[in-house]
Amino acid sequence: MPIQTSKETTALIVTITGKMDALTAPEYEKKFSELIAEGEISFIVDFEQVDYISSAGLRVLLATAKRVKAVNGKLLLANITGVVKDVFEISGFCTLFPTHDSVASALSASLG
Amino acid sequence: MPGHKSIVFKLILVITFCSVLIFAFTLGYNYYESRLILEQELENNARNLAMSLVNRVESELVSVTKVTEGVARSMETGRYTENELLARIRTTLEDNPRIYGAGIAFEPYAFRKANRLYAPYFYREKGKITFIRLEDSYQYVPYVYWDWYQIPRELGKLEWSEPYYDDGGANIAMATCSVPFYLDRGGTRILKGIVTSDIPLVSLTELISSVKILKTGYAALLSRNGMVLAHPLKDAIMNETFFSIAESRHDTSLRDLGKKMVQGESGFVHYTSLVGVKSWMYFAPIRSTGWTLAVVFPEEELVENVRKLSLTMAGMGLAGILLLTLAVYSIASSITKPLRSLAEATEVMASGNFDIELPVVRSNDEVGVLTSSFQLMVTSLKEYIKNLTETTAAKERIQSELKVATDIQASLLPRLFPAFPDRPEFDIFASMDPAKEVGGDFYDFFFIDDNNLCFLIADVADKGVPAALYMMVAKTLLKSEGQRLGEPAMILSYVNNILAADNESCMFATVFCAILDTGSGEVRFANAGHNPPLIIDSLGIRYLAPKHGFVLGPMPDSVYETEHLTLQKGDILFLYTDGVTEAKNPEEELYGESRLLQALNDGSKDDLTDMIHTIRAEVTRHANGAPQSDDVTMVAIKYRGIVTDV
Repeated sequence: MPIQTSKETTALIVTITGKMDALTAPEYEKKFSELIAEGEISFIVDFEQVDYISSAGLRVLLATAKRVKAVNGKLLLANITGVVKDVFEISGFCTLFPTHDSVASALSASLG
Repeated sequence: MPGHKSIVFKLILVITFCSVLIFAFTLGYNYYESRLILEQELENNARNLAMSLVNRVESELVSVTKVTEGVARSMETGRYTENELLARIRTTLEDNPRIYGAGIAFEPYAFRKANRLYAPYFYREKGKITFIRLEDSYQYVPYVYWDWYQIPRELGKLEWSEPYYDDGGANIAMATCSVPFYLDRGGTRILKGIVTSDIPLVSLTELISSVKILKTGYAALLSRNGMVLAHPLKDAIMNETFFSIAESRHDTSLRDLGKKMVQGESGFVHYTSLVGVKSWMYFAPIRSTGWTLAVVFPEEELVENVRKLSLTMAGMGLAGILLLTLAVYSIASSITKPLRSLAEATEVMASGNFDIELPVVRSNDEVGVLTSSFQLMVTSLKEYIKNLTETTAAKERIQSELKVATDIQASLLPRLFPAFPDRPEFDIFASMDPAKEVGGDFYDFFFIDDNNLCFLIADVADKGVPAALYMMVAKTLLKSEGQRLGEPAMILSYVNNILAADNESCMFATVFCAILDTGSGEVRFANAGHNPPLIIDSLGIRYLAPKHGFVLGPMPDSVYETEHLTLQKGDILFLYTDGVTEAKNPEEELYGESRLLQALNDGSKDDLTDMIHTIRAEVTRHANGAPQSDDVTMVAIKYRGIVTDV
């Protein structure tokens, strides 16, 4: 599971690579759970290198957002493009999640 | 019996071989060293024996020499009449029993002018002393030409003759000690004659022959010229010389040995005797006569004891090795016996019988450890197999339960086609193939009143049992709310709120819900995050562009919007889930929308069953055996319009 994290002052930037489908989604969910358990509350998920997301992936984002919200944190998505953007639009997820064109803009949004 | 290459066999082979090797080496070395020591001993013994014999012969000879010299000296100092002379010789003979015969041989005319030759001689014959005159008995060759006379006469000193048969006197083999005596006339020594004493050879040979060495060993006496004087082989005595024997045998080493003897040397040599027996010989000279005395030890008899000892040792060694072999066999068998029974037990176990009793091993050695480890392994294996059997049984139970679940799920979806044979206004066909035993996709269609047919397609996030359970709830709710509300946006909105009420796991479903007015062909539809359906009409195939509502489940109070569409006669709506377009082949290539559009375009548009089966077959062909992760669901509806009865 290619997942990288880098800590910024206001949020943890999580970079995901490859697919977020039924096969990999449980591992991402576990990873996010661990990060929250470690005390992280604000995440910026960078989708630049994600080439596919299925409903299972969407569910992981939903579940994570819900848990983050419970601790007054934030889940911001950045660089959602292409096929992933189509999925987000069709499923209506773009209305639910604040999406940003870049990690930088997500970071500045996380300040507010 | 242990097999050919068993441990027992190998142990016996190696240990026996090594023991035999060590023993053979030790025995061989012992034999060799013993022989060496024996030979050194032998040389000493032989030398001592020979010297003692030499001394005895010498003493015999010396006593004779002294008597003879005494007579010679008295001849030089005194004047004897004939009678006195004869009495002197006779007395000498009588006083010295070793002397066989004694005489005085005068030079021609030296005794008296009347007689040219004069040589009185006394000898023993049949116990009496007999007198003869040598000038008479030597009729053909006068005594002055005989060696016993000539040699001392010429040398002017005492001389022992070569042994000879005396024809003139006693007719026996004898040796003569001759001493010249002189008349001193005005400072000049004039030879007057020779005093002789004879000793019979037999007196010496008896002495030599009486020496017994081992069984067949012997002593021998050789003359100055190598003549055999004393030897167990009687025929050779006085007939053969050492050199004639060497000649007949063509043995140069023997001749060289003879030369050494003649030259008065002594030595210890390896030698093959006259009768061909390998022997050791020590020879030493008898100085006074220049003869040689030899003692001969047969080699066979010498080493016989060593050989006997070696044979006894070999016998004992063999018995020992045999005993050792038996001991090794016994120990090795006792060690390998539990191993063998363990191997037999293992063989039985290998055939699947784990209940066999392992052999009982009481010892704590390696075999005992192996057996208890083996026992432990068998117990673990039995436990493992038991667990495996239980797990397999449990898995099989789950599998069969899942199979039942598959059937239940399939039976929940309307599967009977034509679904509404009495409604000619439309055709509808649908199919759902779950990727796993149970799926998260579903479709449904039902009349909410006489005219309005509600139809929907849905895709629950994730797959498998959790998705199937969620699907059951969603489907039930959608049908009940659909029949109650009859308005797509409201249906979705209500169902969403119910689902969102208790949704800890954030499960959700995408739903496309539509209601067809079978009379007018009007379709009211609302979308909850589902991929847009296709419409096939007179203009061709294209995607409908519904507003994207949020998926059902995660968020309460989501807002959906009902949109409108009117189908003309022959128009088709084609609803599907992303399992169709996202079917992957082994190269990870998606089936994709363009292929779907192409397949729909190329295929039949009259028969919906055909259409859906064709697409399903296309997707399967594209997947080409690659495992699919998503359910494949399709719903097609064709509006035919009201056929007015004329």
